[in-house]
Amino acid sequence: MSATSIPIPDYRSLSPDVAARFERIRQRPVILSVKGLLKKFGTNGSARTVFEGVSLDIHRREFICVIGPSGCGKSTFLRIVAGLDECSAGEVLLDGKSVAGPGRDRGMVFQGYTLFPWLTVKRNVMFGLEMQGKNGNSAESEARQWLDMVGLGKFEDSYPHELSGGMKQRVAIARALANEPRILIMDEPFGALDAQTRCQMQSYLLQIWKKVDVTILFITHDLEEAAYLSDRILVMGTNPGRVVEFIDNPIPRPRSPAQFLSAEYLALKMRLEELIHPPVEAEEDRLPMVKLTNAGDDVE
Amino acid sequence: MAHGDWLGLKQELASSRRLVLTLLSFLAPLALWSAVSYLPFVWHPLVHVTVPGDVDYFTDDMEVPYADFNNELAKVKAAGGAVPEGYPVNPVYLPAPHKVARAFYTAFTTEPRLPHEPWLHQSLGHSIRTICWGFFISSLFGVPLGILCGTYRFFSRLQEPFIEFFRYLPAPAFGALCVAILGIDDGPKIAIIFIGTFFQQVLVISNTVRKVDPALIEAAQTLGARGWQLVRRVIIPASIPDVYTDMRILLGWAWTYLIVAEVVGTMSGITFFINQQARYRNFDNVYAAIGMIGIIGFSSDLLLSWIGGLIFPWKRKNRTGKSARSWWPKRPVKITTVEVPVEAGT
Repeated sequence: MSATSIPIPDYRSLSPDVAARFERIRQRPVILSVKGLLKKFGTNGSARTVFEGVSLDIHRREFICVIGPSGCGKSTFLRIVAGLDECSAGEVLLDGKSVAGPGRDRGMVFQGYTLFPWLTVKRNVMFGLEMQGKNGNSAESEARQWLDMVGLGKFEDSYPHELSGGMKQRVAIARALANEPRILIMDEPFGALDAQTRCQMQSYLLQIWKKVDVTILFITHDLEEAAYLSDRILVMGTNPGRVVEFIDNPIPRPRSPAQFLSAEYLALKMRLEELIHPPVEAEEDRLPMVKLTNAGDDVE
Repeated sequence: MAHGDWLGLKQELASSRRLVLTLLSFLAPLALWSAVSYLPFVWHPLVHVTVPGDVDYFTDDMEVPYADFNNELAKVKAAGGAVPEGYPVNPVYLPAPHKVARAFYTAFTTEPRLPHEPWLHQSLGHSIRTICWGFFISSLFGVPLGILCGTYRFFSRLQEPFIEFFRYLPAPAFGALCVAILGIDDGPKIAIIFIGTFFQQVLVISNTVRKVDPALIEAAQTLGARGWQLVRRVIIPASIPDVYTDMRILLGWAWTYLIVAEVVGTMSGITFFINQQARYRNFDNVYAAIGMIGIIGFSSDLLLSWIGGLIFPWKRKNRTGKSARSWWPKRPVKITTVEVPVEAGT
């Protein structure tokens, strides 16, 4: 069966329900607004542009995925939003106010495990609350609630090294959410996990997002992950890094793995493939194919 | 096979085999020492005279080289006089293991020859006191300064170039100066241990603190930690187990400086005891005293390592390979599958 036998719709054609949902999202207030962001590394003489002209608005409780080939600056973009890096030009507005430096209004989950190894799971989640000056008892009961929500209430007294990778990332999510950030920034949070755990974590994340009033900005290099999780997908390109397209995800919610075979999913996936893995055309991208053996000649 | 091969590359050995090898590492030198001491044909270059016979200069309990004894024996035999008797022994500076073992006890019970001289336990106490003061004063300044230098580039640039220079100056070189300034008693000795320890300490600790995973600091920043909170709540707890290990190594170095320091001014402590006993030719006591330094150093390090495991439980990782502390009961890890209700979709 060839691919052309399935009618693939245009990825931009949204079903009425999905279109109505995007209409509602656009009515919501803008949480994060990025204007003309530019990042250069190095001094003026030998500066290299990482990305330029990145502008976007993210509405409250939207789930945005950022994808792009390596070197497009998507990680740097997230770090600037988080306040961990400085931009060369442009600005980042959170609730209309310009942000400088990291702060607890922008929670972050990293790819590497960044739980504090000397604190128990519960004390890790309490960390941000203690930084706010909350007293021990209220911080502790709040931390317990967040741990229960990610399903790790039983592990509150364990140390991070006693947990599996997926569990560590769930604690990291609970720790970031306990601060009740306006936006949760996730930098390939499931990149180090095995495929099965990653699937499970994606499902957990959607459930958590459903229960919490939080906007999510999520980097991934996995197209299926982006298609499964997102409301909108920010596709970045290289040389220089820039926004190639900001796609409205046509797959209706609620999401389930069953949709991986739906027409919308295939349409979106094809478009993403096209953007991220364009056909090899440039001469310099081709490997010089020197013929070394005749062994394959009689094989079609 | 994981434990099948005694010489498997990078393979951990079974615990029984590790124990055998540990014992062997102590027993092999001991066996060599015993062979030299108890098997007369191995070395024994001297003869311990028991009966002087007709040799003029032989006396009881005298030790003469083997060749000299044989010469005199031949002469006396030729002259038809009374024959000297004796048995082969090692030189006095190489006592047999059992004598040294006995000295571990008798050195404590031997009364000092002169009334003002210290007993062994007093000498040891003196040494331990000196090393503790030197190391304590060094750590009092060295640890905070090391953490500051590791945390802030400002302090690192301000302090480390000079310290880097100063640590090449050998501590004993300051002996005369320390005596001139601090007198001849314990002052200069503590100062030399301080000089020997402090500068290394600052550099080693600042290096350890610099190695704190920057991702942990960034994570804390995104959780709202600022300035001093980052130092107190992240940088210090993240680096303190490694700083503790550094301190254990530095304490070992301090013992080396102790022996040099105790020669400065009036000789004191265990060095005084060793020198005095060597002068009296009680070499069994000398070996025992040197052995005691080793035992004190080694056992205090084991103790500190054990304490480290207690106060830094997160460093007691349950790795696949057994650690040296594998006998220590682990925290009960509750292994359960967590049930998060998975809906058909969200």
